[in-house]
Amino acid sequence: MQWLDSSLSEQLKKVFPNISIEDGPYLSSISIPTDELLRFLSHLKSEGFKHFIDHTIVHHQAPERFEGIYILYNPELNKRALVRAFSKDSKLPSIEKLWPCAKWAEREAYDMFGVIYEGHENLRRMFMWEGYPYHPLRKDFPLSGPQDVELPSLTELYAGRDQEPSHDFELYHTKVATLQDLEKTQYSRLNKKAQLMLNWGPLHPGTHGTIWFLFDLDGERVVQSDVILGQLHRGMEKLAENLYYFQFLPYTDRMDYISAICNELAYVCAVEKLLKVEVPEKALYARVMFAELQRINSHLLWLGTGALDLGALTVFLYAFREREKIMDIIEGNAGFRLTSAFLRIGGLHYDLAEGTLDVVEAFVKDFPQRLSEYHSLLTRNRIWLRRTRDIGVITRQDVFDYGLSGPVARASGIAYDLRKLQPYSGYEEFEFDIPVGEVGDVYDRYLVRMEEIKQSIRIISQAISKLKKLPKSAPYVNKQHPSVMAPKEEVFKDLQDMVKNFRIVVHGESAPIGEVYSAGENPRGELGFYILSKGGSKPYRLRIRSGALYNLSIFPKLIKDGTIADAIALLGSLDPVVGETDR
Amino acid sequence: MVNNNGFVLTTVDELLSWGRRNSLWPLTIGLACCAIEMMHAAASRFDLDRLGVIFRASPRQADLMIVAGTVVNKVAPMLKLLWEQMPDPKWCITMGGCASAGGPFPTYSTLQGMDRIIPVDVYIPGCPPHPQGLLYGILQLQKKIKEKGVLRYEKAFEEFKREVERRGLLPREVTV
Repeated sequence: MQWLDSSLSEQLKKVFPNISIEDGPYLSSISIPTDELLRFLSHLKSEGFKHFIDHTIVHHQAPERFEGIYILYNPELNKRALVRAFSKDSKLPSIEKLWPCAKWAEREAYDMFGVIYEGHENLRRMFMWEGYPYHPLRKDFPLSGPQDVELPSLTELYAGRDQEPSHDFELYHTKVATLQDLEKTQYSRLNKKAQLMLNWGPLHPGTHGTIWFLFDLDGERVVQSDVILGQLHRGMEKLAENLYYFQFLPYTDRMDYISAICNELAYVCAVEKLLKVEVPEKALYARVMFAELQRINSHLLWLGTGALDLGALTVFLYAFREREKIMDIIEGNAGFRLTSAFLRIGGLHYDLAEGTLDVVEAFVKDFPQRLSEYHSLLTRNRIWLRRTRDIGVITRQDVFDYGLSGPVARASGIAYDLRKLQPYSGYEEFEFDIPVGEVGDVYDRYLVRMEEIKQSIRIISQAISKLKKLPKSAPYVNKQHPSVMAPKEEVFKDLQDMVKNFRIVVHGESAPIGEVYSAGENPRGELGFYILSKGGSKPYRLRIRSGALYNLSIFPKLIKDGTIADAIALLGSLDPVVGETDR
Repeated sequence: MVNNNGFVLTTVDELLSWGRRNSLWPLTIGLACCAIEMMHAAASRFDLDRLGVIFRASPRQADLMIVAGTVVNKVAPMLKLLWEQMPDPKWCITMGGCASAGGPFPTYSTLQGMDRIIPVDVYIPGCPPHPQGLLYGILQLQKKIKEKGVLRYEKAFEEFKREVERRGLLPREVTV
């Protein structure tokens, strides 16, 4: 996918003479003075860059300043634009009026960096609780936070202090929230208008993780609602700034833990772009095969839990039966079921295990019957239809305004699929269709995901035949590149490889200066990685554009005037994973 | 202890302990990745129901807390509240590295171990542990209940509380 570069922006320059366009090696960006930012963005929106992708902040030190970064997408030209503007006295104008989902992105930036957005409706902390005194993603904030609270291990106290501790731990701990803090957080979000304020979650089985919903209810009708996130905020972006590129790879598994390999693929593609690593053919096809297996796996979990929430226990048990099969295939190759860390920068961690292709082929052959089993349980089921049809209708305009992506966008008729629009990892060599919905309700999202499973099966069988044509000894990792670790078995035999691995493990990869935005099509939408490298082996800023976060941002709008029962069906169809929304 | 006459002799304590260890009803605290493996343990292949483990959604009905996933500082007081809402006797299993000791997240937002706020009986390592790991952990807990019993547990817990008060080690920041 191309970027809005200097060749395209002559007209823009006529309207906005103050902008400057830089064509970098990886992407082009447009700088604009802060005063004109709002006018410029609304102009871009009217020019067709209407799909909101992301907003984030980069904290520069010396001189201390914050740089706002906006990424937009033009569906007609299939081009993206990256706009940057420096904040004035840590202040930026709010773009909530242009794109409603920016409300969440701005809250996050306020929480993490302390940037004030002028004109924001309710600028509160996104992930941390109200009253938390720090802004963690600032460069001068330590990774573990200030260790100022004494918090001993109770198990150890119970056993008696004279014994060896059960694990290596520090007596002092960073700040922990209190119930009063959480109460304050809750009351800061909504002004009660109607009869009853209802908390749903964070520890409720129907919330698919630890999302905390607030409903202001009039009878059973939802008058207004808000979502409190951060119950699984683990500080991924801060961690990434403190780790080498290869070290962050296992963390991407733990973001959207249901589709680990898809996350890895998106991350690995971004880093390979930055480090300019070519990937051998075999690794490309194997990556696609595993990513699609993982997509089926993820959609099966969505199917099982979504149906379970609406009372269909059978589907849950059936879906988990197939999931076990896929996880066995992944475990056989990666050695790990869920968070597999199977990919490496430059290829795969291991060669394909013996017999993998046969097993996957058998699975592909068997699976369509299972799929029709699920269809027979749900698709024409009267209860299922009444719970899902015409619930939570997302219009085409909403998709652009709320930055939706993935199956949620496609169910509303927008064929936004990065595997087609911006092929990565050799997806351009595969034949598949993009299913789109018509109405954009919960039922359409169900049908789109079911069809996507079918398309994934198609891709997998093509990948198998491509892999079968390759010789068994074909390389699965590009070990010529200086930043790619050699395969394990060769490290123990070859001195050169050993020295190279030692160098990378100790000093990290040396990345060139530059910035990269690369995205992958995840089961939960576009997972983008914006990496700003100032040289060295660690990223200066790594921003994770989460599809699930933006997909969830439309929830308060959709549930308005709905009922609590609809909220459960609706949330299941949006399919957020808290590991990715909170990071 | 079956005699020739067909009598079964046991103590009341042993009978209670047998009942308790074979009907552990956990409170579902699915926080992160481990929750998926916990679901797998409960689903068709591993089938936790065999051990008498039935997941409950309410702390009032539960006697075991399986903390599956990363506990962040924001959730910690909620978990503490849930733990206090559970009736005695109660046990706690931490599933995975994060809940046990912070795991791979030594960050500003992550609680470095569930045992900072509630006492833990069984730690299950892994990131995430295999469902078999969870099964093994539950079997270990059953063994612990059988060996240590409930009364002793309570007594020890009382002693522990007094000890904490005597030393003034009550964590000030998480008092609820």
